[in-house]
Amino acid sequence: MTAQSNHIPSESDLIKGCIEGDPQMQRLLYQRFSSMMYGVCLRYSDNTEDANDVLQEGFIKVYKNLVKFRGEGSFEGWVRRIFINTSIEHYRKKVKLYNVSEVQENTVEDTDLSALDSLAAKDIINIINELSPGYKQVFNMHVIEGYSHKEIADLIGITEGTSKSQLARAKGVLKKIIETRVGK
Amino acid sequence: MQNFKNKVYHFETPPPEAIWDKIAEELQNEKVIQMHGHRKSKFLFYGATAAASVIIIFLGSLFFNKNKDLIPTAKIQTKTDHLLAQKIKDSITLNQKMLESIIHNPQKKEVAEKAFKNESNKKYLTVAGPEGQPVKISPKVATLIISADHEFPPKPVWSNKISKWQKIMLSSTASANLIDLVKLAAKSDDLE
Repeated sequence: MTAQSNHIPSESDLIKGCIEGDPQMQRLLYQRFSSMMYGVCLRYSDNTEDANDVLQEGFIKVYKNLVKFRGEGSFEGWVRRIFINTSIEHYRKKVKLYNVSEVQENTVEDTDLSALDSLAAKDIINIINELSPGYKQVFNMHVIEGYSHKEIADLIGITEGTSKSQLARAKGVLKKIIETRVGK
Repeated sequence: MQNFKNKVYHFETPPPEAIWDKIAEELQNEKVIQMHGHRKSKFLFYGATAAASVIIIFLGSLFFNKNKDLIPTAKIQTKTDHLLAQKIKDSITLNQKMLESIIHNPQKKEVAEKAFKNESNKKYLTVAGPEGQPVKISPKVATLIISADHEFPPKPVWSNKISKWQKIMLSSTASANLIDLVKLAAKSDDLE
């Protein structure tokens, strides 16, 4: 490798290079974000095949939409949102969210998931992946990504109430899964 | 943020290498499509430019050909006008010369019959009428009008008319306005 190829380009250089269609910069951008975004894809997908498809689709969207990145906020956050949106779109038809009965907010907050803290990330993701697609989406978006119920409702196309109910159900299911595993 | 949230949020795992190959292939295809689009745009641009140039050249050639056609016509027209003007001028000169001769020649009676009979084929003379209208009279009549001495007028009416026409003829020969004479002569030629 030459000294030039060892040079790590800045984020703005990467963006500029990718906009200009430089294959080397495209590759470097992929190398910088692929592992991180693959983690996101795995959390939202049912299986690795779907995660692979979403990763591919998401990166194509990133390259195509780089010109729209205005530099407001972090670039990583912008890329992550693209992958989350791609995941949502990918499963929009698959996932059927039912409007379940309203659950008390305090019930949702009181669900103790601290048992997950002692587990490795990969194991936590495996447990999350046991959730149904609808529960998983809302849980990931609200608990892990930090989206508000309003944002989730707008992105997925459900009501805020449904989002809250889905989350409550997801937490309940997770708790049972954790108890089952601990009990084992 | 709870511990497990942090772990999951920052969880990273390398994707299969084959994914990049697919992405690279797709990007390459996109690039090719874009290039084709670019080429198509370029082709359209150059095509439109060429078409516009051909149209401009075609219209230009039409315009210049038309002008070329017009130039000889204009020249011919100018030449014709020039000849016509000369003809009118000659006619006026002759007209005036004949009138002058009739009016000022002491042997007036012979003028009409001899002086211009063989000199030109001009059958009529043009004089300005009472209201400026061209009046054509034969040289013989002109001679009679000028030579009338009112000694034996058959009727006073005739005497008055002769006097009037004498004045008209004299004033016609005194006219120095070339344009009036040209108009007069042109009208008289048309009438001839």
